[in-house]
Formats: sequence, C-alpha cells, structure tokens
Amino acid sequence: MNPRGRRQYLALLRKDLRLEFRTRETVVAMGLFSLVIIILFEFTIGERVGNTAPIAGGIIWSTLALGAVLGVGRTWVPEREQRVLDAILIAPVSRLVMMSARTTALVIYLLGVQVVVVPLAVVFFVNGTSAVNLLLIAGVCVLADLCIGIMGALLASMSVFSRTRELVLPVLLLPSLIPVVITAGGATDAVLSPSRQMAEYRGYCLFLAVYAVIFALVAYATFDYILDD
Amino acid sequence: MTDPAARRVLVLGVLTAVLTATGIIGLFLVAPEDSGEGQIQRIFYFHVSIALVSLLAFGVAFVAGAMYLRSQREWWDDVVFISVRLGLVLAVLTVITGSIWAKAAWGTWWIWSDPRLATYTLVILLYSAYFVLRSSAEGSRQARFSAVYAIIAFVSVPISFYAVRVAQSVVHPVVFTSSGAAMPHSMLIWFVVALAAMTALFFLLLQVELMQHRAQRALREVKLRLERG
Repeated sequence: MNPRGRRQYLALLRKDLRLEFRTRETVVAMGLFSLVIIILFEFTIGERVGNTAPIAGGIIWSTLALGAVLGVGRTWVPEREQRVLDAILIAPVSRLVMMSARTTALVIYLLGVQVVVVPLAVVFFVNGTSAVNLLLIAGVCVLADLCIGIMGALLASMSVFSRTRELVLPVLLLPSLIPVVITAGGATDAVLSPSRQMAEYRGYCLFLAVYAVIFALVAYATFDYILDD
Repeated sequence: MTDPAARRVLVLGVLTAVLTATGIIGLFLVAPEDSGEGQIQRIFYFHVSIALVSLLAFGVAFVAGAMYLRSQREWWDDVVFISVRLGLVLAVLTVITGSIWAKAAWGTWWIWSDPRLATYTLVILLYSAYFVLRSSAEGSRQARFSAVYAIIAFVSVPISFYAVRVAQSVVHPVVFTSSGAAMPHSMLIWFVVALAAMTALFFLLLQVELMQHRAQRALREVKLRLERG
C-alpha cells in the first residue's frame, strides 16, 4: 500500500471506529446477543450434560460466529442509511483500501466483544482457567477474527446491494464460517483440556492462518468486481 | 445438422449412451465382487464418480466465473449457473449414495466424525447459498455477484480434500492415494468407465441447458422487438 493508500485506509478506519464509538450500536448489540446465546447454551446443553469443559470451545465459537453475523450485517448500513454510499463509491479510493479498512474495523469490533464474552464463557463452561490459557485463546481470537473479517467484508459488500440483504447475509456467511468455527473451537478445546495440547493448538492455528491468507487472496482478486458500479 | 451446438449434443448423447450402457453391464456383470463388503461395494462406482464429477462441475463454474469477470459475456454467466446447478444435484446424490453405502458397510446412515462427509455437506450448503444470492441480486449485479460467489465457494472444495488428509479420517476409505489406486485393475477399469460416463453426462446436460438458455434469450429478444413494433 502506497502512502496515499495508507492515509485513505486510516481515514476510512477512523471514520468507522468514530461512528461506532459515538453510537455504540454494533459492538453493544453483538455483545448482548452473544451473552444471550451463551445463557441459552448453558440452560439447553450445560444443565443437561453437567461437565461442559470438553465442549466449551465449540459453544464459545458457535456463539461468537452467530454474534459476528450481527456485526457483519451492519457493514455499509450506516452509509446506506445516511445516503453517502454512492459518494464513497465514486471517491478516488481503491477498492482494496476500502476492503482493508472494513476488515480491520470488523476485527476490532469482534475483539471488543470477545474481550468480555470469552472470559465470561470460560467461567461459565470451564469454571475458570489460567492467564496463559486466556492469552493462547486470544491468539485464536485474532486469527479467527481475521478470517471472519475478510469473509464478512467480502460477502457483506454483495449482500448490501441485494434485495433481501438481511436474509442473504447469514445464508452466505455462516456456511463459509463453519471451518473457522470448527478449527477455532478445536484450538480453544486444545488449550482448555486438562493437559494442554500444544501440537494440536498449533495445527489448528496454522489452518486458520492459511484460511485467512487464501480468502484474503480471493478477496483481493474479486473485490474490484463487487463494487464495480 | 448445421448448428454446431446441436451437433455437439448429438455426439455427446451417443457417447454418454454407449459409456453408460457399457458401464452398467461391466460393473454389474463383469467387475469382481468385493471380498469384504460384497455386492453393496458396487455402489462405489456410482458414488465416487458422481462425487468427482460434482467437483468437476464446481471447477467449471469457477473457471467460467473468472472468465465472466474478465469478458462480461452473458454466455459465461450461463455456464456458471448451469454448472453450479448440476454440481449441486450431483453433490446431493453423492451424499445420498454415500449414506446408503455407510449404512450397509458401517451400520449407520451418517458419521459426523468423518471429515470428508462433513466437509462435503459444507460444500452443499455453500453452493445452495449461490441460488439465494443470485435470486436476490438484480440487473448486472446478478451475473457479477454470482461469478464472484462461484469463485469464493470453489475455495471450499480443496479445503474438503485437505480436511480428510489432515484431520485423520476415522472411517472413510481413502481409495486414491499418492502411491496409486488401492483396488485391483479388474475394478479400476470399470470405475474409469463409470467416471467417463458420468463426465460425458455432465457435459451433455451442460450443452443441452446452454442451448435452452440461448433459445430463451432469442425468444426474449423477439418478444421485445414485437412489443416495440
């Protein structure tokens, strides 16, 4: 990215974050929604199986993926509501810069939610864990959020121009996130298991990193065509 | 017959009929019975060839999607649409035949712990979403978004292959390995015939549907011209 592109990227990212900081619509809604789902899981599964530690990773990442759909669904929505979408699209900013700023904003929103939700979920389902384990899970969060952010920015840019955008996005996004949920859940379980499975953890993290790189390349190759109006 | 497309349909039709008849006779009457699984093993010839041709269909959709984005020619959009539709039908048939085989061989209709079955289900979900997106997008975006999505979805196909090798399949037999096919030549030859028949059938159906799309477009143009007077 050249210096001009970097300036544009930072300006777009600042705009998104400032908008979110003022309204706090997306992160608060995602956080509350995730907490509700965790409580639902606790009452529907946790109460029945007793020991939820072996399935905690799956529950946590299913919850976070469903919560992420809300955040991704808000992508481009403020611009559309305030009727500035066309102005942004005709501005002399490369599509790659737009996509990178969107992805970064989504990753920051997701991390904002996970800072609260993940420790709470660990307390609910595993009865607490060490600080080192939480740091290792934070690494999984960063990698998985990158996957979600890239895929989310890409698919939200298509769904926003569709007739039934609210219906289309979950149908497009959730199947794409299944491998991310499976591997992030696997990595979390590997950390939370009584004898920490570091080799398994590294394998899952590597899969997430490769997944993020592959979809970043796909996004790089196709994003220009999505916003080609 | 002067129309090249009609000539292609005729040639492919004859080829498909000959290969299908030869394949059915060969795999039911000539191919040896499997010593372990018995008669039910013969479903392998259908199951694996349908699975491989469904992947071929998604590959054709991927290439056609990229070609559409480059050239914006409507014909490529037709190829994407038809290939995804045929690929999805074949993918569903793969899961059905796989499930029948699983019941006979392992005593259960479905095993989630097998990564190939799980990832194949993911591929079906991903390509089902293609139709939701396509019906929701309008104007020039319909073909553009469909092409981009066909490219994104195809990325899931190598992941489905990768998953079975990495996640250590529990039950699914891996017939084709890097050291060759794990079956006798008397079986392999009929598998190749079944695969060739299924591939010819796919290209025949693709060609027939392309002709139908071309006729529909010509009819639409005639109607428009008549309306304008």
